[in-house]
Amino acid sequence: MEGKRTVAPNPTDDHEARTAPLIAAEAAVLADEQTLTRRRLVRLATAGAAGMAATGYALERASAQDATPDPAPDPEADPEAGEDEEATPAPGGTPVGSAGELVVYSGRNEELVGDLVPRIEGGTGVDLEVEYAGTSELAAQILEEGENTPAGLFLAQDAGALGALAAEGRLQELPAELLERVDPRFRSPDGLWVGISGRSRVLVYNTDQVTEDRLPASVLDLPTAGFEGQVGWAPTNASFQAFVTALRVLEGDEGARAWLEAMQGIDPVVFESNGDVVRAVGRGEIQVGLVNHYYLYEIQAEEQTELPIANHFFQAGDPGSLVNVAGVGILAGTDQAEQAEAVVDYLLTEPAQAYFAEQTFEYPLIQGVPLAEGLRPLEEVQGPEIDLSDLADLEGTLALLTELGII
Amino acid sequence: MTAVPATRASGAEDPTTAAGPALRCAGLTKSFGAGPVVDGVDLVAERGDFVALLGPSGCGKTTTLRMIAGLEEPDAGTVEVDGRLVARPGRAEPPERRRVGMVFQDYALFPHLSVAKNVAFGLPRGRDRADRVAAALETVGLAGLGERMPHELSGGQQQRVALARALAPEPAIVLLDEPFSNLDAELRAQVRAEVRQILGDAGATAILVTHDQEEALSLADRIAVMWDGRVVQDANPEELYHRPVSRAVAAFVGDAQFLPGDGLGRRVATELGELPASGGATGPVEVMLRPESVRLALAPGAPSAPGPGEDAGEGDGPGRPAGASGTVVTRAFYGHDQLVTVRLDSGRVLRARLGTYGGIRPGDQVTVSVRGAVLAFPRMG
Amino acid sequence: MLTLRPRPAAKPASLVRGASAAGGGALAAPWRGRGGVRVRRGRPPVVVWLPAVLAGLLMLTPLVYLVIRAGESGGDVWGLVLRARTARVLANTALLALAVAAAGSAIAVPLAWLTSWTDLPLRRWWAMAAALPLVVPSYVGALTVVAALGPRGALQGSLERWGVERLPTIYGFFGAWLTLTLFTYPYVFLSVRAALRGLDPALQEASRGLGHGPWRAFFRCTLPQLRPGIAAGALLAALYAVSDFGVVTLLRYDTFVRAIYVQYRASFDRTLAAALALLLVAFAAGLVLAEARLRGRAAYHRLGGGAARRPKPIALGRWRWPALAYCASVVGLALGLPLGVLVFWLLRGVSGGEGLDGLATAAVHSVSVSALAAAAATLAALPVATLAVRYAGRVAGLAERVTYLGYALPGIVVGLAFVFLGANYLTPLYKTLPLMVLAYVVRFLPQAVGAVRTSLLQVSPRLEEAARGLGRGPAGATWRVTVPLTRSGLAAGAALVFLTVMKELPITLFLSPIEYDTLATSVWNATGGGAYGKAAAPALLLIAVSAVPTLLLVARDRTARVGRD
Repeated sequence: MEGKRTVAPNPTDDHEARTAPLIAAEAAVLADEQTLTRRRLVRLATAGAAGMAATGYALERASAQDATPDPAPDPEADPEAGEDEEATPAPGGTPVGSAGELVVYSGRNEELVGDLVPRIEGGTGVDLEVEYAGTSELAAQILEEGENTPAGLFLAQDAGALGALAAEGRLQELPAELLERVDPRFRSPDGLWVGISGRSRVLVYNTDQVTEDRLPASVLDLPTAGFEGQVGWAPTNASFQAFVTALRVLEGDEGARAWLEAMQGIDPVVFESNGDVVRAVGRGEIQVGLVNHYYLYEIQAEEQTELPIANHFFQAGDPGSLVNVAGVGILAGTDQAEQAEAVVDYLLTEPAQAYFAEQTFEYPLIQGVPLAEGLRPLEEVQGPEIDLSDLADLEGTLALLTELGII
Repeated sequence: MTAVPATRASGAEDPTTAAGPALRCAGLTKSFGAGPVVDGVDLVAERGDFVALLGPSGCGKTTTLRMIAGLEEPDAGTVEVDGRLVARPGRAEPPERRRVGMVFQDYALFPHLSVAKNVAFGLPRGRDRADRVAAALETVGLAGLGERMPHELSGGQQQRVALARALAPEPAIVLLDEPFSNLDAELRAQVRAEVRQILGDAGATAILVTHDQEEALSLADRIAVMWDGRVVQDANPEELYHRPVSRAVAAFVGDAQFLPGDGLGRRVATELGELPASGGATGPVEVMLRPESVRLALAPGAPSAPGPGEDAGEGDGPGRPAGASGTVVTRAFYGHDQLVTVRLDSGRVLRARLGTYGGIRPGDQVTVSVRGAVLAFPRMG
Repeated sequence: MLTLRPRPAAKPASLVRGASAAGGGALAAPWRGRGGVRVRRGRPPVVVWLPAVLAGLLMLTPLVYLVIRAGESGGDVWGLVLRARTARVLANTALLALAVAAAGSAIAVPLAWLTSWTDLPLRRWWAMAAALPLVVPSYVGALTVVAALGPRGALQGSLERWGVERLPTIYGFFGAWLTLTLFTYPYVFLSVRAALRGLDPALQEASRGLGHGPWRAFFRCTLPQLRPGIAAGALLAALYAVSDFGVVTLLRYDTFVRAIYVQYRASFDRTLAAALALLLVAFAAGLVLAEARLRGRAAYHRLGGGAARRPKPIALGRWRWPALAYCASVVGLALGLPLGVLVFWLLRGVSGGEGLDGLATAAVHSVSVSALAAAAATLAALPVATLAVRYAGRVAGLAERVTYLGYALPGIVVGLAFVFLGANYLTPLYKTLPLMVLAYVVRFLPQAVGAVRTSLLQVSPRLEEAARGLGRGPAGATWRVTVPLTRSGLAAGAALVFLTVMKELPITLFLSPIEYDTLATSVWNATGGGAYGKAAAPALLLIAVSAVPTLLLVARDRTARVGRD
């Protein structure tokens, strides 16, 4: 034993002293500083939160059960309709018979389409359950869900996302009868999706400061039209980016770059949203702005006083008058196809299209629906001869905008 | 209690034999990664025994204790409590089923529970629970403090709460892991005595783990010295102090100084002369000298007046050794005794513990000799 | 001592006494091992390792998903990963993460010090206010920063009369850095405050005694000891900056997460996005390692823990006013600014006729799901933290750190991983609360683990062992001893998870039951439609609800319990 002084490590004697992520240690340190009252408070709060959660969940389940339709036919639905599944919907959107539920993924904001939902339900007898999220996020979600997607219908803010789903085979063909109601420019060439409302790029201008004859006929001439420091734009807006994509398709990447650089040369004023651009034009802070056509109507409706603003449409075929659409597609393999078709059908009838014309001030895409006041008819706008499916290369556009320091 | 350092025989006994010792460990072995920390420890405690496991830090004593408690699982060997086999390799009863009470170094009082609730923690629910708590607190002299929170007590009181808590369920054995090391020196002596008495009154069997030899010597009936994972000596305090089995144990238990010498059979030749060797010695050896066995006598003509005690005049034994001369270097006075450091003419320094009735001063010339027989260990290297 | 027992004569200490025993420090904190917390090296019991392993596997879900997706991409993946833009956004991200961490620490350390150790007037009030920006969803914060400091924002508007036409742009690095710093510095604040309160003031005093002035004492003695706390908080802030999407988009700074989103949004390409996300994970791993380095081998400081004596507050003297001005400006910017803008929007919206319908339901939804997630995350954190603390080893440490990688992932990735898992493999659970809660747990578990781990470190394992020796089984010992003693840590972890789930967006949008509106989705819906007036009410409600647990966290700030001696 002597001389052999090496002492075996005693694991119980060493301690691993580490410092933890201390974030919430605030409370931990104070554990024994707490008074009893404090403890009770915390306990109460914890119990309260848990209780609330439990209650919330129970409520949720209860209401979910309430929402589950009775096996008995929906009293609002036409009792006859179920028997004739081929029933063609009456124009004007009388309730069709395929009552049931439909899960809709909506990339259009609830602010825009929320009020339409009860109308669709009334018009079709279909109960809609709508999940709102960003259009591209929903597209990604649908791709991840694959065959198991709970959604029957995808309502997209723009054609690009619908094109992406179509390319992945996630959409099923729409009945020809529905497709034919819409101009071929505004639907999928393969019949996999269809536009439901349109929007045009315009140049909004302050009518007190600018007369229309000063405004260029082509957006390509805007940099040289003498509006230095007076042009507003919202480059993070998806519609603006779709326009730049169109510009790239029509004028080539170099042409688009040249135009953007020229625009930067006249010192455009940057806004967060199209709405902000229009408001600024209304206040006279800037004279013109590159926006979608309908913001003018929204802002006019929102302001108490009439603002001195008007839309200037670029010449037909100009990239600056690109018409893009919001559209819908029915998801492949869904067991709600019937309801989905009923809803698409309704969306392409006069009441729904009138909603877009009157409430969101968009272009209706079927014939015979009156436009909002002052809106140039779609035939006259004649957006550029461009296939909306060609606007898929958003990445190139974003790369260009980023490279130029615009976004 | 028997020391069986050389064999591991007892493990083979029939575990079902009732009325075995309160504790029997046989061949306990435990490794953590590299090499065993506990290496074949045998330990027996009869009922009512107070056994100390003494060893330096890292010798495996705490691990041994934890294996007895069920907090570690042995790699080999067995543990019996009250004749019941509670641990063997591959099957160890959890601590809650062993009837083993523990008192930890830091007491491990539950800070969120009152003293009474701490003590009640191990007691079954029932009508007599409160009575048993009160009785336990009474036993440790804390009656009436049950509603206090642990942090409101002094260290000594906390110690006694820990003891009451461990004793309340009437365990077969109580394990004490360095229970006094958190107390300051003055309190420690007092609490030790109290603990000893409480345990004695309760008739408890206790195993004390400590690195403090003074604590072990003063408290325990028997002491098992652990070194490098093994029990190297298992003896009563007197035997351990006077007849340590090795130089290392000698140095660890008590103050020991070593003097080289040559073994001559029954005597050893050293620079203090030929000393009687208990147990005999041959060849090169080292002789253990406890300070209290070193005697000093003032050399004639020294400046200090010779007193009756300086030559430790308890009648010189036969063959009185010649001794060696030296000079007093320092003197520390403790009241009940004094510690004197002497430099021999050879340059070697020795410590001597003497009675206090002398006038020895630093600088005095003294003759150094040894009382009684000495213990010799073979000299290494 | 109330004892009549005979006092044995004190004996002199033996000369060969072994290591000297600890003295009074242990008296103050008898339940804490003087040598710190010992670590068991044994095999952990099933009740610990099984749930911990399950939690660990759960945490790997997003990574597995990413590997599957990235594996589907063809050769383009290398082209994408190696292109110049990747390097640029990586550099941007690193710059942002480090700048946010550094600035957050620079803001938070003085705040924490002022509110813990000085006689700052109303210091508890300041402590609460300084922690609160954590509850402001960063996208809301970014909107308000733009509204206030952006072009034609409130600031420029008020400067207009002096002819200020244009402010330096808020967009780009500066704005993103400023916004993220303002809303993540509380991570550092809370963690440094905890560390400060655990520090033994005697050390600072000793340093003063050695002739250092108060400032020097702080820099030489206190600050180095705060390093682990700063590192831990800064890591969370940095990872937040790495994974955030809202702020960098609104303030137009090109980071890695934005590049990932571009893949999803612009190309609808999940495979390339996954490849980029894996790269982000690697980057986050670097940050986590860097934090480990920064944390260093510093010992665990809080052995004295709550028992530590509170120092006498340091008198600020004439520094009081600058100190107050400092606190006021931080709180004003990080809390006053967003609240002010939101209230302005609210008033404008209400006068414009915005209704407040559905807010109550959304609030109940938010609170329910956040509370469930908080409870689940805390429950999951317990075995992970136990494994890490009580059975620490290389593997347990690694496992704990792996959880942080998920934390660095943008929410969209975690959300899509669970969409993939839920829709295809757990179909009955898809779009139900349980799966949603599970996804939140994966995203925010590290916050709970950190809190539980910290408080667990302060509970001596001896306590659990004592309970075992007194006849309790492992579960009984945990329930009767460990849980009560770590309750405040558990509550803290739960509170953090609660408030981050309250403001979480992508997972909520992807996985909530259909038509399950929460406050966060209400804000998102409204701002997405440009209806800021409508967004203000749910945003304010969200902030108010999240503030409750945050305030509880800080409100427990108590001066030392007196009368121990």
